[in-house]
Amino acid sequence: MATYRDPFERLQGELERMLEQAFAAFGPGGVSPSVDVFDAGDAFVVKAELPGLDPRSVEVSVEDGALTLRGERKLPEPQAGAAFHRREREEGAFRRVVRMPARVAADQTQAEYRDGVLTVRLPKAPESRPRRVEIQAA
Amino acid sequence: MTTTEMEARPKQKVERREESTRPGRYFAPAVDILETNDEIVLLADMPGVPADAVDVHLDGDQLTIEGRVRPEDYAGLKPLHVEYVVGGYHRTFALGEAIDRDGIRAAMQQGVLTLHLPKAEHARVRRIEVSVG
Repeated sequence: MATYRDPFERLQGELERMLEQAFAAFGPGGVSPSVDVFDAGDAFVVKAELPGLDPRSVEVSVEDGALTLRGERKLPEPQAGAAFHRREREEGAFRRVVRMPARVAADQTQAEYRDGVLTVRLPKAPESRPRRVEIQAA
Repeated sequence: MTTTEMEARPKQKVERREESTRPGRYFAPAVDILETNDEIVLLADMPGVPADAVDVHLDGDQLTIEGRVRPEDYAGLKPLHVEYVVGGYHRTFALGEAIDRDGIRAAMQQGVLTLHLPKAEHARVRRIEVSVG
């Protein structure tokens, strides 16, 4: 019997599997902030969860096929006399370097910050793009 | 300036108790809960959730927050390297104080939900002046 599976749910399942494998190899922790790297055919897409950031405090740069995300998250000071019941949200400076799996056209990199997610799109260099090779009939 | 690494906290997956017709994974958002004399303020990190995809429910003293992400943001993307799983957010809290339901205010900004829950009049700490007779 064929079961309907939502494509997004399938993607989540695939992400989960890869995450388990990644952590099995390196153990938890030691990374900040969390990033996901995707292949979009003609570009690589890097997404980082960075809620509540001032976009002006984020620096995105590409050098030698590596993407660097740098910034700082500052949480506003609570008003005087406020008592914390829970304090789970983190603040501080971060720096992440993500190596691209193939050559990218660094000068065409685009970054967008929306709903607390930073998305960087790095177009692949022409030689790294998928190419369909025509077979010549002899 | 010293650079303190922001500690990466793997997202905590939650199993929703009720049956859901919405597919997908749900995670418990990291929250700060503050209390002042007049109100309780809840801040929740829900990256990827737009303002129109947040639900806040108050049932008795049980507060539930839920946020959904946009699956279309991931259309045509093949994962290569994964450190977090994309999903919605869901968390329930038991409030110890009586809340003025009509005064609840919610705002969503860059993936952070800010919820102001004013205390009901009778639950506020009152300072009573003692008059000297």
